Amino acid sequence: MRYLLEPFGSPFMQRALAEALLLGAVAAVVSVFVVLRRLSFVADVLTHTVFPGVVIGFVVAGTSGIVWGASVFAVLSTVLITVLAGRSRVTEDASMAIVLTGFFAVGVVLVSRQTSFTSDLTAFLFGRILTVDRQQLVVTAVIGAAVLLLLGLLGKELLFRAFDPAGAEARGYRVLALDLVLNLVVALVVVAAVRAVGTVLVIALLVVPGAAGRLLSDRLAGITLIAVGTALLAGWLGLVASWQASVNHGLRLASGATVVLVLVLLYGVAAAIATARKVRA
Amino acid sequence: MSLLQDGYARRALIEALLVGALCGLVGVHVVLRRLSFFTMAMTHATFPGVVLAALVGVDLLLGSGLFGVLVVLGVSWLTTRPRSDSAAAVGVVLSAGFALGVALLSAQAGFTRDLSAYLVGSIVTVQAGDLVKTALVLAAVALTLALVGKELVFGAFDRGGMVAAGYPAGRLDLLLLLVVELTVVTSVPAVGTIQAVALIVAPAAAARLWSDRIGPTTALAVLLGMASGVVGLAVSQAYQVAAGAAIVLAACGFFVLSVVVAPVVRGRPVPLGVG
Repeated sequence: MRYLLEPFGSPFMQRALAEALLLGAVAAVVSVFVVLRRLSFVADVLTHTVFPGVVIGFVVAGTSGIVWGASVFAVLSTVLITVLAGRSRVTEDASMAIVLTGFFAVGVVLVSRQTSFTSDLTAFLFGRILTVDRQQLVVTAVIGAAVLLLLGLLGKELLFRAFDPAGAEARGYRVLALDLVLNLVVALVVVAAVRAVGTVLVIALLVVPGAAGRLLSDRLAGITLIAVGTALLAGWLGLVASWQASVNHGLRLASGATVVLVLVLLYGVAAAIATARKVRA
Repeated sequence: MSLLQDGYARRALIEALLVGALCGLVGVHVVLRRLSFFTMAMTHATFPGVVLAALVGVDLLLGSGLFGVLVVLGVSWLTTRPRSDSAAAVGVVLSAGFALGVALLSAQAGFTRDLSAYLVGSIVTVQAGDLVKTALVLAAVALTLALVGKELVFGAFDRGGMVAAGYPAGRLDLLLLLVVELTVVTSVPAVGTIQAVALIVAPAAAARLWSDRIGPTTALAVLLGMASGVVGLAVSQAYQVAAGAAIVLAACGFFVLSVVVAPVVRGRPVPLGVG
């Protein structure tokens, strides 16, 4: 037990833990919807389309500009994706892949024109959870509250639309507006995660917890509980792993990566349990 | 054109042409079968293979290729299980692969430099040996697609009919996934991981807007792939921006142009994709 608690003696590790737990819980709730609505690719697209926003924000206003830049591009690309999904000119997955890579390439072009190319790039893409400050925690908390509020207010309607879009439309709900809201919620989580785990690894937080929950439960409450539990556990154990590896074994393992790896391991455990259940039944 | 003056620029140009042609060929099938997300996941999941190959000292293309085969088999197995959401499974594999690669890479020095090269490509540091490898892969893929191209298209449009007719649809599906994976690991050193998807999807998607027939679509996809390479390199040199990204933006540009111009030129609404 001491092994699991000793990394968190210092303030920076405590803040990192707070950020991981906060972000993980919020992302896990959203991931339930992502998995239910099969939005994994949409979520992946959003994690890449905010990248140019992150770069522009950083260039214009330093590290505090990152969230603003990311937010602007999050809204822009959410609208673009939601609109594209409705049109049938080009198959949906191809147009989303093109949007994703196009935006990302813009980000790369912008970064390549700066002098400190490589280190900035990796910070944006993989985050630096160990350098999270109190202001960042506040931002995450605010975004988290906004996300949970939106999901709380519209949860029933979003579920209705998820399982029966035609019925929802017939009942008078504006499906396009609901889709826009959910995509926006995903985009908000991406923005909150940019500083902590970076744009590339946040997709894990947005898919794996919900997927693990879905493996073990058929009921929304069960799925959500398992998803949140998995994310919290992964945040904590992932940070422990990274710290212990660094302090006791001299091995530098990026914290964002260890959190994701623990998350995937927990998914594996869930898959094993699910298979065992089926074999027994 | 200054593109042809330096040795490294010449090699970059040849690599861009080869990779563009390769991606165009394969892209037609990726777009037809809606494999864009899968291709995206492949680029992320083969990342640890590249790192492991570099760690062990094996040739990168070989190492990442072998690792990629494992990933393809893994994803195929995951998606054939009942009650599994293939999109979520692909998402899990994507996350696991990339996190593993980042963890492995961060354990060494020179973290940021190597990672950047992987992410955004480094076509201008391509060597003659790399050109040979790319050309060989292009030849192998072209041959494979020439042999089974018709069957692959059949399977894309009417899998049930294909199975009923006695074709080994499952094995053909797997073959295509392996071809895509090979294309991805070959293109990544040139344009970078995330951007390899653009070169595979955008020229083919653009070509699809101009023609309903497989032959002309494939030819146009190859042409657009190569053109993206040339235009991208030229822009990269002129404006001092990352070459891989410039190539991708050229490909996306051709796509956007096609979305706008093709319906006007063809005088009728653009047809839908498969299904």
